[in-house]
Order: sequence, then C-alpha cells, then structure tokens
Amino acid sequence: MANQDISFAQINDDVVRSLVVTGRKYYITLAISILVTFTCFVGPWFYQLRYGIGAAGMNHPTVWGTYLASFIFWIGLSHSGTLLSAVLHLTNSEWRKAMYRSAEAMTLFSVMVAAMMVMVHVGRPWFVHWAVPYPNQMEMWPNFRSPLMFDVMAITTYMTGSIIFIYMGTIPDFAAVRDRTTGWRHHMYVLLSLGWRGTDTEWNRLHWAYTFLAVLIVPLAVSVHSIVSWDFALSVVPALHQTIFAPYFVVGAIYSGTAGIVTVMFVLRKYMKFEHLITKLHFDNLGKLLLVMSLLWTYINMVELFTGWYSESSEEYEALNFRLFGFYGPLYWEMILFCALAPLLLISKRFRTSFVPMLILSIVINIGMYTERFLIVATSLPRQYLPDAWGMYVPSLVEIAIMVGSFGMFTTLFLVFVKIFPSISLYEVKETLPEPQPKPQADSGAP
Amino acid sequence: MATNALGLFNAPSSALEAAGALKGAGFDSPTVISPIPIHGIDEVLGKKKSIIKRFTFFGALFGGIAGFALAAGTAVMYIHATGGRPIIAIPPFLIITYELTILCGILATVLGFILGSRLPAFKNRVYVPEVAVDKFAVTVLCEDPERLKRAHDILQSSGAEEIREVEGEQ
Repeated sequence: MANQDISFAQINDDVVRSLVVTGRKYYITLAISILVTFTCFVGPWFYQLRYGIGAAGMNHPTVWGTYLASFIFWIGLSHSGTLLSAVLHLTNSEWRKAMYRSAEAMTLFSVMVAAMMVMVHVGRPWFVHWAVPYPNQMEMWPNFRSPLMFDVMAITTYMTGSIIFIYMGTIPDFAAVRDRTTGWRHHMYVLLSLGWRGTDTEWNRLHWAYTFLAVLIVPLAVSVHSIVSWDFALSVVPALHQTIFAPYFVVGAIYSGTAGIVTVMFVLRKYMKFEHLITKLHFDNLGKLLLVMSLLWTYINMVELFTGWYSESSEEYEALNFRLFGFYGPLYWEMILFCALAPLLLISKRFRTSFVPMLILSIVINIGMYTERFLIVATSLPRQYLPDAWGMYVPSLVEIAIMVGSFGMFTTLFLVFVKIFPSISLYEVKETLPEPQPKPQADSGAP
Repeated sequence: MATNALGLFNAPSSALEAAGALKGAGFDSPTVISPIPIHGIDEVLGKKKSIIKRFTFFGALFGGIAGFALAAGTAVMYIHATGGRPIIAIPPFLIITYELTILCGILATVLGFILGSRLPAFKNRVYVPEVAVDKFAVTVLCEDPERLKRAHDILQSSGAEEIREVEGEQ
C-alpha cells in the first residue's frame, strides 16, 4: 500500500509529473537503448536476412538455438505481469495496486519482443503470414495439429488480451491526465480516455468488464506457456519429451516474470521518484512470491532429473549427462546457483525489504532463467539417440548480438511507455488511502 | 441544451447522501461522478444490471464453436494426413478451440463494456475536471428553473462545497 499521508491531489501531481517532466537521464537512457536496438538487433537481423539463416550458428542436429531460447525467455518474462495482476485483482490484494500497471506493460512488451524473436528465427519472415488461416488461391490451410499453430493462436490471443487488459484498466487514468495536459498530449489522452468521466455507471461497467477479463486471462496465461513447452515436449527428443514440461515452463515463467517485476519496480521507484507509492511492503510481498516460485522451480528440476535417471534408457542418460557434465555443464551449475540457491536468501525479511540486494537478486535470477532456456535448447538437440547424429551448437556472433539487442528493444519500448501511460494506477492507489471525510461545518448551509 | 445542477463534495459519504436525497425528492436518476469507485453506491442509487456478463458468455461460446469449426473445417478442406493421425484430431483441436474461446470472450467483453458504459462520448456531457482529482460530484438533469432551484437547495443542505449549473447531457 502507498504511504498513507499523501493526498489524492499529490498522486495526480506525481503521475502527471512522471509523464510530462523529462530529465536528461531519461533521454540518455533512451538514446542508448535505441542505439543498442539498432546495432545489436536491427543491424545483425538485416545481415542475416541478406546472407541467409546460415549467419546463425544453428545447423543439423541443433536447428533451434538462442533465438528460441530468447523467445521462451521473453514469453516467460511476460507471465507475471498480466497473470499476477489478474490473480491479485481477483483475490482483492491491495498491494497490487501501485505496481500492476508497470507489470502489465512488462507483459505486453515482452510478448512483442518474443514475437520478434520468432520472426528472426524463421529465416524468411516475409512468409510468416502463411501461419495465419486465410483463404488463398492455393486452397491451403495451416496444420492445426502442429504445436507451432497452437503457439500462433495462443500468442495472438495473449497479446490481444494483454493489450486490452492494460488499456481498459488505464482509461480512468487517461481521463485524469487528459485534464492536466496541453497540446498533442491532450489530444492523445482525449482519444485514449474515450470521454471517460467517472460516473457511477462507468465505474460499475469497468469493474465487471475488468473482472471478467481477469477471469479469462488467468487460464489463458497458464495455457500460453504450457503451449510453448509443447513446442518441445511434443517432439520425441530425449530430455524434451517430458510430461512435466508444461508445469515446469509455467512455474519458470512466473518465477522469471516476478523477478522482472522486482527489477522494474526498483527502477521506477528510484528514477520516477515513486518512493512513497512503491514501498518496502511491495518488495517484501514480491520477495515471498519469488521464494515460493524458486522452491517450486527447484522441485520440478529435481523431478525432471529423477524421472530421466529412473527411466534407465541410454538416450535419456546421455542427454542428462551432457547437460550436467558436458560442454555446457558449468552453465547448468550456474543456473542452479542463481535460481535455486541464491534465492534462499529471501527467507530473511531483512533481505526482502532491502532494495539494492533485491535488485541484484532479481537480475541474477533472470540471468539464471535465461541460461535455463538456453540449456533446454542447446543440450537436448545435440544428443539425440544415435551417436552419429550428435552434434554441437555454439551461438554465432549474430545470435548473441540479437539476444543483447532484444534487451535494448524491450528497454526502448518500456521507456516510451512510461511517458505515455501513467505507470502507477491513479485511481487504485487512491482507493488504498483512507476515505476522505466531510469537513465539519459551522453552519449547515441550509437556506 | 439541458441544464444540470452539479454539486461538488469533498467526501464520498456526503455525495452519496446528496444523491439519496435527490432521488427521494423525485429526481430521475442522479449521477455521481467520482475519482474512485464508491462503495455502497448500489444501496443508494439501486443495483445496476450489467449486460457485460452476457456479452462475455456468448462471445466465449461463439469463439469456442468458431475455433473448433476453423480447425476441423480447414483440416477437411485441405486433407493432409500426417503421422497416422486422424484428419479431425480432437485433442489438438481442443487447444485451438480453447484459445479462440478466450479470444472471443475477451473481445466480446470489451464490446459489452463500450456499449454498457456509453463510451466513447461524442457529445458534450456533464463534467468538471475536479472530479478526476479529489472531488465527488452529484449531478441531476433539471428541466425547468423551479426544479433547478429545488436541486440546488437539496445539494446545499447535503453539504456541497460548491454548486454549479452545467450544460450538457447526463
């Protein structure tokens, strides 16, 4: 909950200030992130388009590489935003209110970056519309039995749902900002607010619509990452063909998404000066959630190893052996250190309520989670059944650059967002404050 | 254009009291405009029936049927037998059905919200910018000067900080 001493008007002032007052630091960060996007993402992608997908290190038998690892990572990161926001809305959690807007934005931009990673991965993105079912002169239709088509449908639905969820929750805030801005900003907010006034009927409709959307979005978010896991688990590749994969991916997604929220909250709190709105309570609660997710994630990892080992099939053995002790073995143990051991620090309340250690831990967790996604792809495909079909995968410079560039793209989108969308929900933070009481009147005012 | 009496209050409880008093005095559905949703407003102004749930339900139902029809219909229109699987394979098609159920449910909910809340507003409606910050307004349509005066008196006696006459539709 926000600091209880602030007034309604101060919340409006703070949020409007965060939109219209822009310092040098912001422009410098924006310039750097745009530069990173162009040099590390756009440039290498054009290079790959010009010279072919061979510019990436993917080759038989490892035909999936860091592009797909990044895709899973970004889809995963998107999970806590909308999902957490919807679950906390349905359970009436007050502490959600100061942070959910940015968390939802994180979802939206992560999904966009994830969709871009698919474009990069497919090699010939100008044919990507073939995945859309539309009548055509060849009378061909997509194969809906393929997990890749599940993906297309799930991600389209998730992106649409996330855009609508964040937009609908922001309409009252667009109206509040509309009244305080001038020029092009004012025109933009007039359009975005749809003429919202805050009448009893409008609040009632918003409440119901938002609740129904939350109810629809929770199972959707769970289904999206399950479906992403089936891209792998519905194959017959050892170490990928696992029944545990869907919950493993969903838990991993919520885990890395929550860590992402901690990072974003820290940055917003510090650089947008929201110290009195985003408090220790938020970090404490997010820390508890992270701890639970980390334990769950560790448990699922142990189950994955155990079932692979217990199967006593040589190909599973080999895949596990390669993952734990092969070329990428050190990365596996780094992942265990970052995602299973380091988060145990969250048992301490003092740690959970310390901002800088929480920031460091959240980044460490996401490095570990990126590693996890990389290992899923890079240690399973090179060890399939017959040794003469084995191979090795090392990402090329183009792939590494595009991975770095995807972070630049996400940062750019987020920086643009914080100047257009009120990054704190005005009306919901106001709801957490004590209700205004009538002023005592000396005269009743009656005629 | 219609004239409306609008009283500004600094507390939701006073605004609710004024809205109740106006309703009791025979005014048609006073409108409360506020920066936050007010709890307990249904007890004063009556419970609002929302059509949104119907939109959500039928949207989702349509999506479910359309989703299965899309997957099964296109599979029949372009026969492509793979892996010894049936052409109309139920488990994978249920996933498409599920996703389209949710997609159409979401889109229909938005449509229900837009229609139910009468947005977007194309005409000038009663509004004062203070209600987006920290004031609570109660407004009522007054057809003639006599009713305007009565509304004015009721708002005043309920503790309105300020009373204005505003043009625009409710």
